[in-house]
Amino acid sequence: MIIQVFLMLLNIASDFTTAPGPRYDSEGKFSGEVFRRDVLLPKLNEALQKKDVLTVCLDGTAGYGTSFLEESFGGLIREDKLTLATLNSVLKFESEEEPELITEIREYMTDAESERIKEAKA
Amino acid sequence: MIRHRFEHLPIPLTTVRAPHHLNFVRNPEEVCRFIAQLRECFDKRKPVFVHLKDVEEIDYDGITVLLSVMVRFRAKKIPFNGNFPRDPEIHQLLKDSDFFDHLYYSDFSDTDTYELTGKNSILTHAMRRVDSVLGERIIKAASQTVWGEPRRCRGVQRTLIELMQNTNNHASLEREGEKHWWLSVKHLQEENRVAFSFVDYGVGVFQSLKSKTQSKKWFGALDYLKALFSTTDNAELLRLIFNGELHKTASGKPYRGKGLPGIYEALLKNKISNLSMVTNDVFFNSESNEYRTLLNNFEGTFIYWELCLDNSSLPYAP
Repeated sequence: MIIQVFLMLLNIASDFTTAPGPRYDSEGKFSGEVFRRDVLLPKLNEALQKKDVLTVCLDGTAGYGTSFLEESFGGLIREDKLTLATLNSVLKFESEEEPELITEIREYMTDAESERIKEAKA
Repeated sequence: MIRHRFEHLPIPLTTVRAPHHLNFVRNPEEVCRFIAQLRECFDKRKPVFVHLKDVEEIDYDGITVLLSVMVRFRAKKIPFNGNFPRDPEIHQLLKDSDFFDHLYYSDFSDTDTYELTGKNSILTHAMRRVDSVLGERIIKAASQTVWGEPRRCRGVQRTLIELMQNTNNHASLEREGEKHWWLSVKHLQEENRVAFSFVDYGVGVFQSLKSKTQSKKWFGALDYLKALFSTTDNAELLRLIFNGELHKTASGKPYRGKGLPGIYEALLKNKISNLSMVTNDVFFNSESNEYRTLLNNFEGTFIYWELCLDNSSLPYAP
């Protein structure tokens, strides 16, 4: 049996902005909240539906504040109620310019998952 | 005709003497005292006369302080007056910053955003929100000065965003997004160097941490850190904060680049140079690796850093 996987690509610099901003929309333009809600989540849902893999490319931007990254990716678990297992199966990251960002993002997602489990038990 | 005062006002003014060395990095004690006196006048809405005559040395960070203080007074319609520095070079430096032009001719209202452009490449911006696009624009111009071509400096962008976000979230004890941050950027063309001075007149790092209520993430973290490391010295606590210990304490997890530690990390990774900071009663300077407790308190946060040829950068168009 041949399983065909089509790689979907989301390039933050070209699909959202070259200047990612703060955590919330109320704090400034190009926030993590807006990116997650309007760009990342629709693409992620599409990938889940197609049983595809979504690769998020982090290169080409001016740089990232920590709150943007936490809200974008940790927020998928905290706000959109996705699990870490689901995200690990559908979401991949790519960065040649700053590969340590991938570790940083994975840690935000792991923290959000720990919080979700803690809250579910409470 | 030479004017010896900014203008004549019939209202009684409180005289505040500027330090001889109006330079936050080299003379933090006296600059803190100066700002505290101006702040007292501002809070009480007292008209002020700033005695600049005896200023012998001023740097871009001193100009940032003067500009931001002047705009705050003018925006609140509190008379702000003073005399000129006697030293012709200092006078010229202030002139180049357009300080006097803004004082005489600009009409400031209490608004969210100010943009002051000076001659001699001093640009000052003030906002309440986080403006990443402005950061990108500033870095593009700064890299032209440093490398002769536009480049991306992700360490500078992270520094700017973390500082703006900190001011937005923590500078006021009452509500978020209340206080302005001020950023002055000075281009030193001949030295291939750009100097950044960032200041907010909030409550300062330690006062903000002390005042966190029980529902907030940082509640009790500072006290816990003091107990853990057996210290009550804010200078020592700043060293621990830079090294991520406060984040570990608050979250129970390793630190990963947030806020002040993220800025310090940008320095360690050679993404920025020559970092200095003044907040509450603490002064830090990376060149001398000095953490010093000050006698005079600064209610707010001041950060200075530079971008130079040795710092890492990325091509503008990847």
